Amino acid sequence: MIKKNSIPGQNVYGFHTKETSVYKAGKGLDRSVVEEISKQKNEPKWMQQFRLDSFELFLKKPMPSWGPDLSGIDLNTLCYYLKPVKNIQSKWKNLPKSILETYERIGVPEAEKKFLSGVSAQYESEVVYKSIQKTLSKKGVIFVSMDDGLKQYPEIIKHYLGSIIPPQDNKFAALNSSVWSGGTLLYVPKNVKVDLPLQAYFRINAENLGQFERTLIIADEGSFVHYIEGCTAPIYSTDSLHAGVVEVFVKKGARVRYSTVQNWSTNVYNLVTKRAKVEEEGVMEWVDGNIGSKLTMKYPSTILAGYKARGEVLSVSYAGKNQLQDTGAKMIHLAPDTTSRIIAKSICQKGGRASFRGYVRIGKNAKNAKSSVSCQSLLLDKTSRADTYPSMEILNHEVEATHEATVSRIEDDQLFYLQSRGIPKDMAESMIVNGFIEPIVKELPLEYAVELNKLIAFQMEDRVG
Amino acid sequence: MKHPLLEVRHINAFARDKQILYDISCVFEQGKITVLMGPNGSGKSTLAHVLMGDPKYKIIRAEKEGIVLNGKDITYASPDVRAKMGLFLSFQSPVAIPGVSVKELLHAFYHNQKTAKKESLSVFYARIRSISKKLRIDATLLTRSIHEEFSGGERKKIELLQALIMKPKFVIFDEIDTGVDIDALQLIAGGIIELQKEHIGIILITHSERIFRYINVDRVLVIARGRIVKDGTRAAIKQIIRKGFENY
Repeated sequence: MIKKNSIPGQNVYGFHTKETSVYKAGKGLDRSVVEEISKQKNEPKWMQQFRLDSFELFLKKPMPSWGPDLSGIDLNTLCYYLKPVKNIQSKWKNLPKSILETYERIGVPEAEKKFLSGVSAQYESEVVYKSIQKTLSKKGVIFVSMDDGLKQYPEIIKHYLGSIIPPQDNKFAALNSSVWSGGTLLYVPKNVKVDLPLQAYFRINAENLGQFERTLIIADEGSFVHYIEGCTAPIYSTDSLHAGVVEVFVKKGARVRYSTVQNWSTNVYNLVTKRAKVEEEGVMEWVDGNIGSKLTMKYPSTILAGYKARGEVLSVSYAGKNQLQDTGAKMIHLAPDTTSRIIAKSICQKGGRASFRGYVRIGKNAKNAKSSVSCQSLLLDKTSRADTYPSMEILNHEVEATHEATVSRIEDDQLFYLQSRGIPKDMAESMIVNGFIEPIVKELPLEYAVELNKLIAFQMEDRVG
Repeated sequence: MKHPLLEVRHINAFARDKQILYDISCVFEQGKITVLMGPNGSGKSTLAHVLMGDPKYKIIRAEKEGIVLNGKDITYASPDVRAKMGLFLSFQSPVAIPGVSVKELLHAFYHNQKTAKKESLSVFYARIRSISKKLRIDATLLTRSIHEEFSGGERKKIELLQALIMKPKFVIFDEIDTGVDIDALQLIAGGIIELQKEHIGIILITHSERIFRYINVDRVLVIARGRIVKDGTRAAIKQIIRKGFENY
């Protein structure tokens, strides 16, 4: 039994039972909390200063008012740091029933299930992680938590941290910079190609996927890596705000693919800042799936800084009852012959709402830049809504830029056709939805693709029923 | 044992508030080919869709009248239920479904079958391969989104392919012979004959006499202004070819 008022393990995804009251401890944020976080972590002086400076910026910055309503976030009632506690594990049976049922129904892979259950998780994930580590370290790849990274490779972090997303970028980047905990440091040396996708959940133990995780990826010249964040199982949380920051450095001729399957529980505000800087002939690909959360604001950005650099965003969102997925992408072309492509698809149902914000800027020096933006929304009923906010700024004339946006509904004719082949209506609907997102889903590793399809089908069924 | 019948009794059908079919009554038998002819806009396709349960059309029936398949009233059954009971509609202009391949559709059909002696999946796939080959359907077509950017001939062949694979009790072909070249027409006629041999009832909606060179018609129904105006034999076709629909 977990005792009342005890901290039920900051382990894994922060599962806890309703009667426990973790987040009530240490509410609110002030300078002393930031100092305490840094002290608890035994951080170097410069990091403490970085946190404190960021905190000042956080106080000064206004809440972003250009988009969705954020008035539901009460910054004073949040708990900003929980010291990882060992030996307390959340138990499978302590998870809310709805989450357990969801696991069963979408068929979360056994390894992931055990890990998420927190029962054998730490052990198993450590085993998997260690075997991955062994192979990686032979190649000189660094794949550690940010906290460990700060201890082991402070010079790397000092050099890169905050250089693409400075704390002053926005209020939540400032917040993250002042209270960050957890996240990943990934460095891939020159010409090293990592064949297996690196999945964050195998690395993470105690402070994984914290409220304010911070991730730094550096792909050195000619290297390749595919990093996968999150997992398709729903992530239950009583925390109301998650504000992560991800910075990716793609050096000359390197290629990074960053895949996310976001499935926070639907009480969570998920406000994430993600940005990549791509040098000469480098390639950055974001594959972004957003299924969960109450509100997500996420617009992965790519700065195409070097000649022939390439950026791509493939984004798919599902917005069901009481959900707003405010997603998009930014492409900043700074060099000649740079190319970018944004493909976004959203599905809205039961009053859910999806907004797409696409921003493309082609600078004076980006001669022969090419950019294409395509945004498609599928509405499953009349109460749902999809909006598109495209914006392009083109500062030279030798440019090829296209933009298209469509909103459609499932056609009655399509349903009738599939039903006339003996396929029941609900299955026909999910086939059409899966067909709609297929161009993006096929970019995910097979097991994720299968799960994402199942997950969306499950969400649809759940929300219809 | 008597063969199952598809019976239509005094059906009135409406699209929104406009009446399209008036008091239609007819009985279709398994193993027989019935041709449905009539001028454009006379209600042929509407009848096909009404039989299959297209929700676009509202049906008003007198008491105890309606559509009966094999003794069961299906007047208000959903299309998937009708399909499971053995009805198949080959669409005149089938809609494209992006991201859903022909294979996936056939796979979904397979999994929704609830017959006692279901063939194994490998037998099912072997059948897909052999029928595709017979119809000269390129294997890559089966992996593409169904009917998306298919040529006219490809569309018709894919509709026929499904009929042959699904082996229903009745097939309604809505202009399967329109817009296809002579080679495709022969293949299509071959498929129809094969279905008939398997004792499947066939309702063939057509505008052209071309297909009658290859198949034997048992019966001809003429629809005009939403009503059945003639129920005759093959001889009626010749008359229509000579004189058109003016007399109706």
